[in-house]
Amino acid sequence: MKSATLSMNELQEAVEKLPDDALAASRRAALAHLRQHGLPTTHDEDWKYTDLAPVIDISNRSLRQYSVTPSSEDLDSVVNEICRSIDADWLVIRNGVIDQRSTEQLDNAGVSIALLSEFGGETEFSAPLSNLNAALLHDGLRVRVTDGAKIDRPIGILLVDSVAETPGMSQARVEIEVGANSTASFVEYHASTGASEHYANHIAELTLGDNSHVDYVRMQERGSSHNHTSRLVVAAGRDSVFNHCAFDLGGRLVRNDLHIDISQPGSSVEFNGLYLAGEQQHIDNHTRADHLVGPARSTQEYRGIVTGRARCVWNGKAIVHQGADGTDAAQANHNLLLSERAEIDAKPELEIYADDVKCSHGTTIGELDEAALYYLRTRGLSKHDAKQVLTRAFAQAIVGKAPIAAMHDMLEEKIAKHLGPLLAGVDA
Amino acid sequence: MLEINNLSVSIGGAEILQGLSLEVRAGEVHAIMGPNGSGKSTLAQVIAGHADYQVTAGTVTYNGQDLLELEPEARAREGIFLGFQYPVEIPGVNNAYLLKAAVNARRKHHGLPEIDAFEFLKLAKEKMALLDMDPKFLNRGVNEGFSGGEKKRNEILQMAMLEPSLAILDETDSGLDIDALRAVAEGVNALRSEDRAIVLVTHYQRLLDYIEPDQVHVLSGGRIARSGDKTLALQLEEKGYDWVREAANG
Repeated sequence: MKSATLSMNELQEAVEKLPDDALAASRRAALAHLRQHGLPTTHDEDWKYTDLAPVIDISNRSLRQYSVTPSSEDLDSVVNEICRSIDADWLVIRNGVIDQRSTEQLDNAGVSIALLSEFGGETEFSAPLSNLNAALLHDGLRVRVTDGAKIDRPIGILLVDSVAETPGMSQARVEIEVGANSTASFVEYHASTGASEHYANHIAELTLGDNSHVDYVRMQERGSSHNHTSRLVVAAGRDSVFNHCAFDLGGRLVRNDLHIDISQPGSSVEFNGLYLAGEQQHIDNHTRADHLVGPARSTQEYRGIVTGRARCVWNGKAIVHQGADGTDAAQANHNLLLSERAEIDAKPELEIYADDVKCSHGTTIGELDEAALYYLRTRGLSKHDAKQVLTRAFAQAIVGKAPIAAMHDMLEEKIAKHLGPLLAGVDA
Repeated sequence: MLEINNLSVSIGGAEILQGLSLEVRAGEVHAIMGPNGSGKSTLAQVIAGHADYQVTAGTVTYNGQDLLELEPEARAREGIFLGFQYPVEIPGVNNAYLLKAAVNARRKHHGLPEIDAFEFLKLAKEKMALLDMDPKFLNRGVNEGFSGGEKKRNEILQMAMLEPSLAILDETDSGLDIDALRAVAEGVNALRSEDRAIVLVTHYQRLLDYIEPDQVHVLSGGRIARSGDKTLALQLEEKGYDWVREAANG
């Protein structure tokens, strides 16, 4: 299949219709980059398994979704339910439009919020999806945690799309700067309603000040006809601690990029993830940790439960650059493949150019443990229940790593809810 | 309660049991002894319903019904319990969760409501005290990181909670120190009753010092070569299994 190309004229038209604000210049610059470099195709190594063509074919897509009043009872109830389910100070972005009530309500001396439409933004033009995002961005958020602040309550960022009858597309951007010696936690939550097709593209940047500590949970629970790409770029400061845990429980075509730069010594980053996929879902997680200096530690474990005709990709890259001695990098990816037609592409990549390093990686793809299934059945559990229990236990290993402990029960419930229908198809 | 007639079983093409017959009545404790590889564990697994073992001939009847027709979970709900020689570690599944799910599966099968959370905890703690187990084990993954002795105690705890009609304990004594052996034996003895049967599969006579069997059987060559009362176990201890083998062949 030939990759569809972006219609530049339509894109330009859409860009020109956006307000003339502080983002106007970066939109035009991004458009120029897009014109020159286009969007990735499956010929690009990083996009070998994920074909964006159907997603970025904008010919019949509304690029002006932000102009649709993003309020409906349906959407409001989704927003309310999510905001209630996790105790956090919520910032809400509906269809790419920032809900300014939510930003004004946030009342925390240690946190300040600004709109990119007022202050502009610096866009990283190296990543193609960042360009698309910058070109079509209606508005974005800048969140700053003051030096030395201890923020107890998580800051929630809810990105929710209500999809109208015509297929749509939305862009969101959040820049977070956590000051030196401060502690904060974030929940990034993606959800959507509506049956029509949709594509949401999220770009986030996170700068960790020296000696800061950040916990971060990303939850993606989009509708089954909604496509999603996200990119989080993290710059870790000296002696900083970053714990990230990602949950992909929904969506149709999903691609997440997590890129962590360790350019100061002493930092410790951990990023874990869980993906559940069934039917024809496609979930791709690409992670990359650049160890530019040592000593520093990065560990990651992603787990997947894949059934139906779903396809999941995990590509974990760790690059230990020359001179980054004292690096400790570990990566693991474990998958439960519950159907013969499902597919997993697992690719650990270690590139080591330093001498004194400790690196490991491991990947497994398997089925449920027959001995454990039998053991549970001899205790009276039905085959179906035994499978449920073991599958949930497999997922539980990642839930336990989610750094915001108050979310564990909620995560467990969500996972059980999404696993139910996935396992219903697996022979009972 | 349990009637085994002329049972032949093979696994992976190798015939392990060859025409074994055994009858166990309610209220009885039977010990099945025999050298390694004589088919003791095979017998235990066939009764529990392990799919890898193929029954090539014979019948197994439990309370009048054809046991071989039933799935492992149906056998468990009907009151059969197998204490594993090698209990399986299941990380991520809470011990309390499994106990409760097991108790409730059985209760549901018998038309009873689910056990009350408070009742469950009280009962579990009572049984754990009897087995000299730390209540903390309730919140650990099933057998996860347990020592050999802890795993065996955990099997007996499950048995005590489930109150089976027919308990088969496969080498429950292996790898136990004397304190653990006493605790396990106490758990088993507490369960002895008129309407219950217990089958102890064991290699050594030692366990029978603590749990006195009504009948002792010696397996050899895939069938029961000799049966007797508890003195048979003592004879075996003295003369070794070769004595039975020779007697069977001669």
